Amino acid sequence: VSGAVAHRLERWAAGWARRRQGPDALAVVLRRRRIYILPTPFGAAFGTMVFAMLLGSLNYGASLGFALTFLLGGLGLVAMHHCHNNLLGLKLRFAGAAPVFAGDSVVFRIAAGNESSSPRYDIELNFGRHGAAPIDVAPGGTAAAQLLVPTQRRGWVVLDRFAVSTRYPGRLFRAWTWVHMDARCLVYPQPARPGRPLPSSSGSDGTGKPDSGDADFAGLRSAAPGDPPQRIAWKAYARTELLLLKQFAGGDAEPCMVDWDALPELAPEARLSQLARWCLDAAEGSRAFGLRLPGCSLPIAQGPRHLAECLERLALFEVASQ
Amino acid sequence: MTGAALPLRSLRAAPRSPPADVSRLLWTAGIVAGASLPQCLKLAIWIPGLLAAAIAWRLAAAMHGWRLPRRWLRLGLAFAVFCAVLAQFGTINGVEAGSALLVVMMALKFLESQNQRDQLVLIMISYFVMFASLLTERSPFAVGYLLAMVWIATVGLLQLGRHGPLLTARATAALAGRLLLQALPIMLLLFVLFPRLPGPLWGVPSSPSSATSGLSDSMSPGDITNLGLSDEVAFRVEFGSRTPDPSQLYWRGPALSRFDGKTWTVSQGIRLGQNVAETIEHRGEPFEYRMMLEPNGRNWAFALEMPASWSGPRNLVMNSDYQLGLFYGAPRVSRLDYRATSYATYSAREPLTESQRVAFRRLPPDSSPRTRALVASWLDDDPTPSAIIERGMDYLRAQEFFYTLTPPPLGEQPVDEFLFETREGFCEHYASAFAVMMRAAGLPARVVLGYQGGELNRLSRYYIVRQADAHAWTEVWLEDRGWLRVDPVSAVAPGRVSLSSWRTSFDFGRGGRAQTTLAGANWLREAALLWDAANYYWNAWVIGYGPDVQRALLDLLGFEASRTERASILLILVVAVTLATSLALSVYLAWRYRPRAGADPAARCFAAFCRRLRRRNVPPRAPSEGPAAYAARAATTLPHAAAEIKAVVESYLRARYEPDADRSALAELRARIAAFRPA
Repeated sequence: VSGAVAHRLERWAAGWARRRQGPDALAVVLRRRRIYILPTPFGAAFGTMVFAMLLGSLNYGASLGFALTFLLGGLGLVAMHHCHNNLLGLKLRFAGAAPVFAGDSVVFRIAAGNESSSPRYDIELNFGRHGAAPIDVAPGGTAAAQLLVPTQRRGWVVLDRFAVSTRYPGRLFRAWTWVHMDARCLVYPQPARPGRPLPSSSGSDGTGKPDSGDADFAGLRSAAPGDPPQRIAWKAYARTELLLLKQFAGGDAEPCMVDWDALPELAPEARLSQLARWCLDAAEGSRAFGLRLPGCSLPIAQGPRHLAECLERLALFEVASQ
Repeated sequence: MTGAALPLRSLRAAPRSPPADVSRLLWTAGIVAGASLPQCLKLAIWIPGLLAAAIAWRLAAAMHGWRLPRRWLRLGLAFAVFCAVLAQFGTINGVEAGSALLVVMMALKFLESQNQRDQLVLIMISYFVMFASLLTERSPFAVGYLLAMVWIATVGLLQLGRHGPLLTARATAALAGRLLLQALPIMLLLFVLFPRLPGPLWGVPSSPSSATSGLSDSMSPGDITNLGLSDEVAFRVEFGSRTPDPSQLYWRGPALSRFDGKTWTVSQGIRLGQNVAETIEHRGEPFEYRMMLEPNGRNWAFALEMPASWSGPRNLVMNSDYQLGLFYGAPRVSRLDYRATSYATYSAREPLTESQRVAFRRLPPDSSPRTRALVASWLDDDPTPSAIIERGMDYLRAQEFFYTLTPPPLGEQPVDEFLFETREGFCEHYASAFAVMMRAAGLPARVVLGYQGGELNRLSRYYIVRQADAHAWTEVWLEDRGWLRVDPVSAVAPGRVSLSSWRTSFDFGRGGRAQTTLAGANWLREAALLWDAANYYWNAWVIGYGPDVQRALLDLLGFEASRTERASILLILVVAVTLATSLALSVYLAWRYRPRAGADPAARCFAAFCRRLRRRNVPPRAPSEGPAAYAARAATTLPHAAAEIKAVVESYLRARYEPDADRSALAELRARIAAFRPA
């Protein structure tokens, strides 16, 4: 019950903060007025202990007891100010997020810049239940936090409100602020299982010879999201730490059209998944391909940019623009 | 599919370092052990043993990946050690039993600690254990040790409170030191200003095992006792403007008026009351002083004869034997600090009741027959009380009496044997014998215990009174004068009374010669006095800082007010001062954390380099211009230095932006800039 109450309280506070702070740009400096601070449960326990010490000192009239009590009380107060200052003046910037396929996690990169000459420790980022590993920011330096957000559906993932917080030093207090920047990332439809052959543009039997391992090795290119793992050049990765994709020169590289109307038997989302698979298969086989969706179509072309554009059309198909 | 969808960066990320479990546990173990060390030195050996075993086992478990004890085992252990503590102390109340319980529970908590929360809780318990130590530890050494441990515990709090990997111990120690230094002004102000209470909030349980030393409440001359032979400090006294003569330094303790022929014990039917002191007439100039009494295991206090008024705990009162004490409480185990005013000239002549008159003259019928016969002969000569007193003193003076600390033992009639046979003894023998003579003459008389003299610490003007200064003297009741102090030792060994200090070093041997056995060099003695002075001020102003000193301080600051008003003034000051220091801290930290161009040392170096180029007519770098583009432009202006400029910019980019750049990259940049000297 208390958890539910705390949750509602936090939602209310977040809503209040949003109205109060207004929306943020993609880069934001954390000013004094938007940093909130409260003791943590551990801090509350620490405060209780200091109070118990005070009572004990009063009872025993113990001067040295008073001294330690006030030293620890002062330490708590000082820690509160340091905790607050640990966030103050931090420059947050949305440093991008690469599109992913539904079901995978988006990695939002948030860069934190520290323009002061004091280091910032243990800066945490939270988006709902998802947190980033805490980062330290050196004086005059920048560090990026990586916020992993799992996805289920295609479309946009919007990092509409995330909390930047710190409990340094000593976890006695938690200082935080909510950031409402329009940081978003595209989620492509989850590609269907491979197997269904690509349609051929000529409208023939549709059993265009798929790429196979016996085709001639044509070279390597940078791997991109969506590339099949069995084509990654793992030996090259071991050597160079770069993910490269083996490319093969297929015999029949005739262009094809990835068409919505070719799959009337599938439900819309399943259709989009299959179309995404086809786009990937075609790109993998270095075949030129076009995309045809109700209401829009992309001409036949080739290359990673074209693939990305096609996947984006699929991701945003009939998604209300936000 | 997941493999393909994973972003490149996460696949390429360096493998995470293994969990720093052991190093976090080591931090915790060190702090737990260090914080409980002062307690462990005092507690029964099984408690530190348990703690050490728990720490050793837990560390071994962390290193070998053993399972932690199950829940029922932990509960069983907790119950067992609780019972053990209860069995040892008979209570869980009080500082000693409470500390023992705290230490054993800390040991069990350490045994089961597995996450950050447990470790932080252990740090908190460590703070509390140190607090418990400070309730009883007073020596500057112990306090210094505990202060260092508080620092280390704070380092641990910062380290273990961290989410990320641990920082270096050095950096964290510096940070913890800074936090504590910033907390120090708050501590000092609150220490001075927080209103102190004159009495406890709840009962202060006495500790049965606390050592008692000092005067006993009975006296049997003839039994060898070690009474007052130690150098241990009984109390320290700081006089105000006037200081009494050494011969006036009689520190009054309990009066002994019951005598069974061998042993003197405290009077029966002692009354308590605030008005006892008012029955005494004081004359002359008062002596004002502050007493700092070491714990004596009793509820006695001492005062210069004869106290007229005093301030201190509310239960510090005078009984009808004119003795000060905390008679409404348990024996005192902590230091007592009070101020008093006494007069050397007084007359205490509240009329005796008939039963008192009988009690103060009672001698067991068959005791001291020879003494009685002697006194009877004096009575025949001159029965006036003053003449009897004079005869008694003359007797001790005229005969061969010796003052010695090693008198022969006495038998069944100690007073007769002492007066007529051995004639060797110390203050107890003389006081007892003299009181018996007076009682034999029909005069009410009693023995008073206390201290006489004291050593003046010349370095800081206060007296140290040691157990070795313990003394006994006689009081005789005269109808017209009331109680009159007669010190028979002054008849035998006047030096004992007037020299007073270093009594243990003087032994008035046969013939009354003082044999000084003063040993040790002078500087040693000076050093000892200096150390005692440091101790004294530590005790007077830190340990003894209480309601009285606080009131004196407030009076000095011009706040003269009643007790409740004082408390509210102080509380207001406490709040104001806390807010003010908090504000000051906030301003200071905002300044420390202010944004600075060139907070990065590499950027600072490069900015200096750009300034140098500017002096060589390179137009300044535009805000949007990258370092490489700027370098190319500078190279066109200074073509002969193009290679050097390029090298500097390369070092700069490496020092500033390479992810694994370290100090050597910065050093290289500095070296290149220093070497840059275009013609």
